Amino acid sequence: MTSARDEFRAGVYALSPALIGNIPFGLIAGVAGTIAGLTPIETIMSSILIFSGVGQLIVYQLFGNGSPAPVILLAALVVGLRLVMYSAVLAPYFGHLNMRWKILLAYLTTDQGFAASTGHFKKSEEPQHRAWFHLAGGLTQWVSWQIAVAIGAVLGAQVPPSWSLDFVVPLTFLAMLIPAIKDRGTAVAATVAGGVALAAMGLPFRLNLITAALLGIAAGYFFDRHNNK
Amino acid sequence: MNAWLIMVGAGVITFGLRFSFFYLYDKADFPVWFRRSLHYVPAAVLAAIVLPGLAIRNDAINFTDNPRLLAGIIAAIVAWRTGSALATMIVGMASLWLIQFWL
Repeated sequence: MTSARDEFRAGVYALSPALIGNIPFGLIAGVAGTIAGLTPIETIMSSILIFSGVGQLIVYQLFGNGSPAPVILLAALVVGLRLVMYSAVLAPYFGHLNMRWKILLAYLTTDQGFAASTGHFKKSEEPQHRAWFHLAGGLTQWVSWQIAVAIGAVLGAQVPPSWSLDFVVPLTFLAMLIPAIKDRGTAVAATVAGGVALAAMGLPFRLNLITAALLGIAAGYFFDRHNNK
Repeated sequence: MNAWLIMVGAGVITFGLRFSFFYLYDKADFPVWFRRSLHYVPAAVLAAIVLPGLAIRNDAINFTDNPRLLAGIIAAIVAWRTGSALATMIVGMASLWLIQFWL
């Protein structure tokens, strides 16, 4: 019989190793916010509102280069689509909870938290304290993330432009892009998306980004469908 | 003011995605094409952001005289060979500084 406290502790332990990657990523997100022209306070507030590394980086980058609001919001929607999948997988485990719990647990769902919670829930037979595990994992990430973003936002404001520190943002995306190309379908998706983004750079309102992403996704999807049948 | 609207909007959207099935549970399901499409989202979105970020300088595509593109290619090779995000960033930044210093 495990208690709520045991589950909470297990959640903190499960997500602690993820801090090694999360803290530098949070620092970069904080720097990216100031590079985009936000004050440190605005960066920290936006980090509390969005609480998603990839989401924040995309929003900061597009805001910084003057993209219009609908394009920024659409980009936030596209990069967040995976969260719908997490939501669908986790929902059955939390179906018995009240709305306040559900809102809190949804807000605290992250990539690593999703992986840890689903792994843990499949093993454990006792459903009544599951929420505490997810809550603890989420809080562990939330607290460390916001501290790292705050430090990055304050430090980023001190660095002179001659250091080209803004280059860290495309490098971060690049470091995520390369492992995301894991088979021929994703290679097609990346090639088409990258090519269209450049070819369509004349489109107004930075619509090239959204057009390129959607065409890339479609290209990968149809490439695999055509070759697997 | 516009900045706040965008940040609040992005926050609401991101939360809405996380909360979607906590709310819809037992009321909806995914179509298969949606489930499959998710596989391609990271590669496509990231490529659409990275390539213009590296190849466009001063509103024009620049493949020849572009320190950021060169540093990006070096960083991409490091990412591919090592799989380390940290090594990618360090080599990428160092490459950019060296190229800007020498050229």
